[in-house]
Amino acid sequence: MKANKIPVGPFHPLLEEAEYFELTVDGETVVDIDMEIGWMHRGHEYISEMKTFTQSIYLVERICGICSTSHPLACVHAIEDIDNIEIPLRARYIRSLVGELERIHSHLLWLGLAGHFIGYDTLWMWAWKYRELEMFEIISGNRNHYGMMRVGGVAKDVDPEKIVELQKHLDMIERKMIMISKIAKDDPVLRSRLKGVGVLSHEDAIAYCTTGPTSRASGVPGDVRFDEPTDAYDLLDFERIVLPNGDVYDKLVVRVLEIIESVKICRQCLDKLKTATGPILNNVKEISPGEGIGRYEAPRGEVFHYIRSDGTNRPIRHKVRAPSYVNIPSFKASCKGIPIADALITLASVDPCYCCTERSLKIIDNNHDPQKLDLLKLSREKTERIRREINAD
Amino acid sequence: MAEVERFLKDMGGKIHAKIEKKGRLYFNVDNADIREIAEYLFVKMGCRLSTATAMEMYHGIEVLYHFSHDKTGQYFCPRVVIKDKKNPKVNSITSIVEGAIWIEREMFDLWGIEFIGHPRMEELLTLHHPNPDLKHPLRFKEVA
Repeated sequence: MKANKIPVGPFHPLLEEAEYFELTVDGETVVDIDMEIGWMHRGHEYISEMKTFTQSIYLVERICGICSTSHPLACVHAIEDIDNIEIPLRARYIRSLVGELERIHSHLLWLGLAGHFIGYDTLWMWAWKYRELEMFEIISGNRNHYGMMRVGGVAKDVDPEKIVELQKHLDMIERKMIMISKIAKDDPVLRSRLKGVGVLSHEDAIAYCTTGPTSRASGVPGDVRFDEPTDAYDLLDFERIVLPNGDVYDKLVVRVLEIIESVKICRQCLDKLKTATGPILNNVKEISPGEGIGRYEAPRGEVFHYIRSDGTNRPIRHKVRAPSYVNIPSFKASCKGIPIADALITLASVDPCYCCTERSLKIIDNNHDPQKLDLLKLSREKTERIRREINAD
Repeated sequence: MAEVERFLKDMGGKIHAKIEKKGRLYFNVDNADIREIAEYLFVKMGCRLSTATAMEMYHGIEVLYHFSHDKTGQYFCPRVVIKDKKNPKVNSITSIVEGAIWIEREMFDLWGIEFIGHPRMEELLTLHHPNPDLKHPLRFKEVA
C-alpha cells in the first residue's frame, strides 16, 4: 500500500505555538512522524543579554502565557544559584503557592482540551469553568503575567484577608477536582478510548530525556520539586505521582492527581503564611561573576535556565529550555504504529502549549477527500464508536 | 557527595578546570573525551541530559552540557571549548543520548557548530526562515 503524508500545522487548534508535524500513514496506521519547529523563534535568549537581571525576569515571564510563573521562577533560581542567595521563609511559601496555582490552571486547561479532542465537550466546559484565574488576580492583581518573582524573594505579599478568600476558592476547586478525577478514572468510555493509546515506553522516556507528566506517566519518577527542592517544597507534605503504562490515559490520570496534590500544597502554604512573618524580599545589590543553573517543575515538566554573569548588572549568556522542547521529540516513539484516529490525542498528550489558532489541514495526496482525514473528526468518531459499543453491551 | 566523588575518581584523568559548588560540578573536557564522559554520565550513572548551552567567548566557542542526576539533584556540566571559531566542530553525543538530536541541531543552527556523527545536521529553528541568507544568527558578526 502507498504511504501518504498528512501535514498537521504549522497552524492547528492542537498547537499553541506554531509547529509542524508530518505524519506518514500506511492505510489507517501512522508509520512515521517528522517534526519541524522554529516558526515562532522570538530571540528571548539574545534579548535577555541586553537586559538587566531584573528586567530578564519580566522578559522570560512572557515566553509562555501559561507558564508565566515557571520561567521567572527558574530564572531567579539561576541568578540566586550564582551567589547562593537565601530567600526569606515567607517568600518561599508565596513562590510555591503561585507555582502550584499555575499547575492547577495549566492541567485544567489541558484536561479541557483533551476532552474536546476526543468528543467529551462536557469535560471541556467543566474544566475551563473551574480554571481559577481569579486566585491569581487576588494575589497579584493580574490574571496572567503576575510579576511576582524577584531575585531574593517575591514582589508582593499575601495579606491575611486574602488568605481567607483564597481558602474559599480552594475549597470549591477541591470539591470539583474530586468530581472530575472520579469521571476521569471511572468512566468506561474514557478508559476504553485512552487506555493503551500512544504509549511512550519507560526506555523511550529515558532515551528522549522527557520530563514532567510525560515521563512520570511512563514510570520515570523525575520531579524537580522532590529531586532538588527549592522554595518551600522541602517544608511541605505532598506525593509524587508516577504511573507505569505510558499511555494517554496514564498521562491524564497523572495530571488529575497532581491537581489534587497541588490543592494540598496551596492549602499548606496558606496555613503557613498565617504564621510565617518577616520580610518577603532580601536586598540583593550585586551579582558576582559566575554561572548558575535554575530549574522549576512547570506543569509540563522541568523548565531549565542557565545564566552566566561577568559581574555587571546583566547576563552575558542566558539559556532557556522549556519542557516541550524535550517532550515533543518523543512523538517519534509514541506515534509509530498508532491508528490515525489516535494521532491527535497522542500529539496533545504531552501538552505542547495550546492556543486558539485556526486549524489548517492540507492533504498532499489530492485523491483523498479532506473531510475524511480531519483528525479532530476522526478522533471524536472513534470515541462515539466506543460509546455505542459499551452502551450496546 | 558520593556520586561526585565516584565520578571524579573514575573520570578524573579527563577532567580539567573543575569548579565545584553546592549541587553543581562544572568542568572542561577535551573534544575527544566528550562521548566517553556522556556515556558514563547517561548510561552508567543514569543522568538525564537537560540541555546544552553554546556560548561564544573571546577565547573560543564553548559547548556546555547539563546532565542532571535526578536521584540527588546534582548537575554535572562538561564543557568543550573550541578554539577554531571559523570552523567549529564537536563530536556528537546523539549515538548515546537520543534526546540530544534537537539540542545539537539548534547549536548548529544558531552558532554554526558542526557535530560530527549527528544523523541530521541541518537547521532546526531557521529552516523556514524568510531570509535564506540568515546563517548562525547568534555568532559575533565579524566572525560569522
